[in-house]
Amino acid sequence: MKIIFALLIIVLLAFSGYHLTFRGFKLPLFAREFYLKGTEFLFLGILLGPHFLNLLDTETLKGLESVGALLLGWIGLLFGFQFEIARLRRFPLDFFKAAILESFLTFVVVFLSVYSILPLISEIPEAMNIVLSLTLSAAAACTAQTGLVLLTPDFTARHRKTINILRYISSIDGLSALLIFAIVFFFHRPTTQGFYWFGNMMMETVFTLIICVGLVFLYIVFIASHRDEKEMALVVIAMAVLTSGIASLLHFSPLVANFFVGFCLVNFCRRKERLFKIFVGIEKPVYLLILVFLGASWTLESTWLIILAALYCLCRFVGKLIGGFMVTRLNPELSSYQPHLGFGLLDQGGLPLAILFDFQQGVPCDIAAGVISLVLLAVIYNEFLGPYLLVRLLKETK
Amino acid sequence: MADLHQNKRNLITYILTLSIVTLFALWLRTLDIESSWQRAGMINFSLGFVMLASYMSAQILRIVRLPLISGYIIVGILAGPYVSSFLTNDMITGFGFINDIALSFIALTAGGALHLQMLKKRRKVIILHILFLTVVVFGFVFLFFVFMGNHFSLTRNLTSIQIIAFAVLIGVVAVARSPSSAIAIISESRASGPFTETVLGVTVAMDVLIIILFTIALTTARIIVGGSEMMDTQVFVAISTELVISFFLGASLGKGIAFYIDHIRHDLPLFLLFLAFGVSKLSLWLNVSMENHFDVYLHLKPLLICMSAGFTVQNFSKMGSYFMDSLDRISLPVYVLFFSLAGASLNFEALYVCWFLALCLAAIRVIGIFCATWLAGTISKEPPHYNRSAWMAYLTQAGVAIGLAQMAEREFPGIGVYLTTVILALIFVNQVVGPVTFKAVLNLVGEAKIR
Repeated sequence: MKIIFALLIIVLLAFSGYHLTFRGFKLPLFAREFYLKGTEFLFLGILLGPHFLNLLDTETLKGLESVGALLLGWIGLLFGFQFEIARLRRFPLDFFKAAILESFLTFVVVFLSVYSILPLISEIPEAMNIVLSLTLSAAAACTAQTGLVLLTPDFTARHRKTINILRYISSIDGLSALLIFAIVFFFHRPTTQGFYWFGNMMMETVFTLIICVGLVFLYIVFIASHRDEKEMALVVIAMAVLTSGIASLLHFSPLVANFFVGFCLVNFCRRKERLFKIFVGIEKPVYLLILVFLGASWTLESTWLIILAALYCLCRFVGKLIGGFMVTRLNPELSSYQPHLGFGLLDQGGLPLAILFDFQQGVPCDIAAGVISLVLLAVIYNEFLGPYLLVRLLKETK
Repeated sequence: MADLHQNKRNLITYILTLSIVTLFALWLRTLDIESSWQRAGMINFSLGFVMLASYMSAQILRIVRLPLISGYIIVGILAGPYVSSFLTNDMITGFGFINDIALSFIALTAGGALHLQMLKKRRKVIILHILFLTVVVFGFVFLFFVFMGNHFSLTRNLTSIQIIAFAVLIGVVAVARSPSSAIAIISESRASGPFTETVLGVTVAMDVLIIILFTIALTTARIIVGGSEMMDTQVFVAISTELVISFFLGASLGKGIAFYIDHIRHDLPLFLLFLAFGVSKLSLWLNVSMENHFDVYLHLKPLLICMSAGFTVQNFSKMGSYFMDSLDRISLPVYVLFFSLAGASLNFEALYVCWFLALCLAAIRVIGIFCATWLAGTISKEPPHYNRSAWMAYLTQAGVAIGLAQMAEREFPGIGVYLTTVILALIFVNQVVGPVTFKAVLNLVGEAKIR
C-alpha cells in the first residue's frame, strides 16, 4: 500500500511540477535559476524520503526498483537519439573532437583525484575504489545546457558563436561519460576477480552489444509496417521495459544499453521521428521522477560531506578549465575562443543524475548513500556557480 | 487479394518474431539470479516480454477474426504461474497497481461511452434487460445448484442448508459481468449503435447493481446458515450512502476534468492515467483512514467514481469527444497489461478440481442469459435478430466476480473455499469464451466498424 501511495504522490507531483518547471511559468528572477532546472524535485524527494514523511522509505524504494530501471531506460533511449550522425555532421568535426577531449580531460582529473583521496577517508577495497572513482568522474564529465537555456535572447544573439560551441559540447560530452560509466558494471561482478577481468570485460561487452543489436532488429521489425499511434506507444513502452530488464539481468546498465539501442535506432531506422515523438512525450516527468528518487536517498550523514562535495566540485572545475583550455589551444581552428571556455561548462544537469541513479540501483554498497549525497551537493553548488561563471565568460568574449 | 497477401505476410512475420522472442526469453530464464538488481530486471523483462507477446498474439488472432483481448488473455495464461511461470504469483501481486490503474481507466472509458440521449431513448429496453438478466439468470443457477449440487464431487459433502446458501451466492455471482471486457471489445471493434449502447448500459448498470444484490445475498445466506436472524437495514442505508457519495464525487471529478481540458489540455492522456490511479488509491486510503481515525465505515467505490466522472465529462460538458480520444490514445498498453495479467491470474487448479461443475454452470448461465435477453427484447419489440443473438454479449466475467467470491469466502469459511474455486473455474470458462462471442455478435448485428 505504501509503495503504491508513494508512487502515486511522486508521479502526480512530478507531473504537475513539470508543467510549472518546463512550460514557461513566470517566476521571480532570483528563483528562476534554481527552480527552472527542476532541482526543487530533489528537495521533494528529501521530503518524501525516510528523514521526513517516510513515504519513500528504504523498503519502498527497493520495491520500486523495476520502475527505476524503466526510467533509466527511457533516459538512455532519449540520450541515444541525440547522436544522429547525419545531424552531428552539420557541425565541424573540431567541435566533436573538442567535446570528447574536454570531457575526457575532466574525467582524468576527477578520476585521479577521487582515486587517490577516497582510500584516505574510507577503507574500501581496490575494486570498489575504482568503481566509485569511475562513477564520480563519469558524472563530473557531463555538462548540461540549462544555464544556456536561461540566457536572455538578447544576450544569446550577441554571443551566438561561443554559445553554439558550448551548446554543442554540452550535448555531446555525455557520450564519453556514459561509456566510462559502462566500465563500472564490469568491475562489479564476481567474474572480474583475478587477472582476467579485462578479457571478461571484452567478452561481456561484445555479448551485451550483440543482444542490444538483436533488440534493435526487434524494434525495426515492429516499426517496419505501418502502425497507429497507440500501437507504437505500446511497442516503445514494452521494448524500453524489455531492454532495461535484459540489461539488469545481465548485470549491465539499463542506461547504457538503452543508449546504445537509441543510438542504433536514430541512425538505422527510417521511422525514427515517430519513435522520438513518443520518447520525448514523457521525458520531463521521467527526469523529475529520477530527481525525486535520488532526493529520497539523500542522507547527510556527516558535515564533512559538504566539504568533500566542495572538493569534488573544485576538481571538476579544474578539469573543465583544463579541458576548455586544451581544446582552444591545441586546435588552431578553435583558438578564437576564450581559453577559459570551461567557465561555460559547469552546469551538470540530468545525465549525471541518471548515472548516479543507475549506480545506486546496480551497485549497492555501504558507501553509496554518501556518494549520492556528495554528487547531489555538487550539482547544487554548480547550479549556483555555473550561471555566474557562464555570464562572466560571455562578457569577456568579444 | 492484396489484403490476403498482406495478411499472410503479417502472419508469418508475427509468428517468426514471436517464436524468436519466446526462445530468447526461455534462454534468459535459465540465467542465475544473484542480486536484487537482477530480480528487478527479471520482473521488467517478464513484463516487457508479456506485453510484446500479447500484442503479437493478438495480431495473429485478429487475422483470424478473433478479438484482441483473447490474445492478451491467452498469452497471460501461458505466461502465468500455472504454465510457464514467466509471471509468478508474486509478480502478479506486485503488479496490482497496474490492475488498479487499468480498472479505473476502463471505468472512465465506460462512463464516457454512455450517451445520455441514447440511454433516455433506450431506457425501457435497458431496464427490462437488467430485470430479466437478474431474475432469470439468478433463478436458473440457483435452482440448478439446489437440485444438482449434491451430485458433484466438490460439493458432495455440503449439507442441504449449505447447498442453499451456496446456491444463493453463486446465483448472484452468475449475474455479474465484466464491463472491462465489454469496453475493450467495443473499443477494438469501434462499435456503435443501439445494440452496443444497450449492452453497455446494461453492463455498466449491473456493475453497480451487483454490489447491492450481493449484499442482499450475503445477508440472506447468513440467515440461512443461522448466523443472523433478520435483515440488517443499516447495511443497505450504508451502501446507498456510499453509492450516492461516490456518484457525487465522480460528478465533481468529471467537472474538474472538463475544466482541465478546457483550460490546460496538455498531456491529457497522462493526466487521465494518473487521475485514474489517484482515484483508486485515494479512495482506498480514505476508506482505511476514516475507519481507523473516525470509526466511520465509509467504503467509496473508485470504479463508480470514475464511471460517474466519465459520464459527466461526456454528457455535461463540451469536452466529451476530446476526452474519449485522449483515453483511446493510451488504451492499448492499458488493455494489454490488464488482460494479460487477468489471464495470468486465471486459476488452473480451480478449473482442474471442478471443471465439470464449471462447465455445467457456464451452460446453465448461457441458457439463462439467452432466455432473459430474448424475453426482454421481445417485450420491448427489439428486432428479432437482436433477440436471438443478444445473449452472446453478456457472457464475459472477470474481476468483480472474483472480488465477490473472496468476500463470500471471508464471510462463510465453511463453504467459501468451494465457492471461490467454482467461481474461479466459471470465470476461466467465461473469460475465454465471452470475448469471442461478444465480438461475433457485434459483427452479426452490423454495429462493428472494424471486423
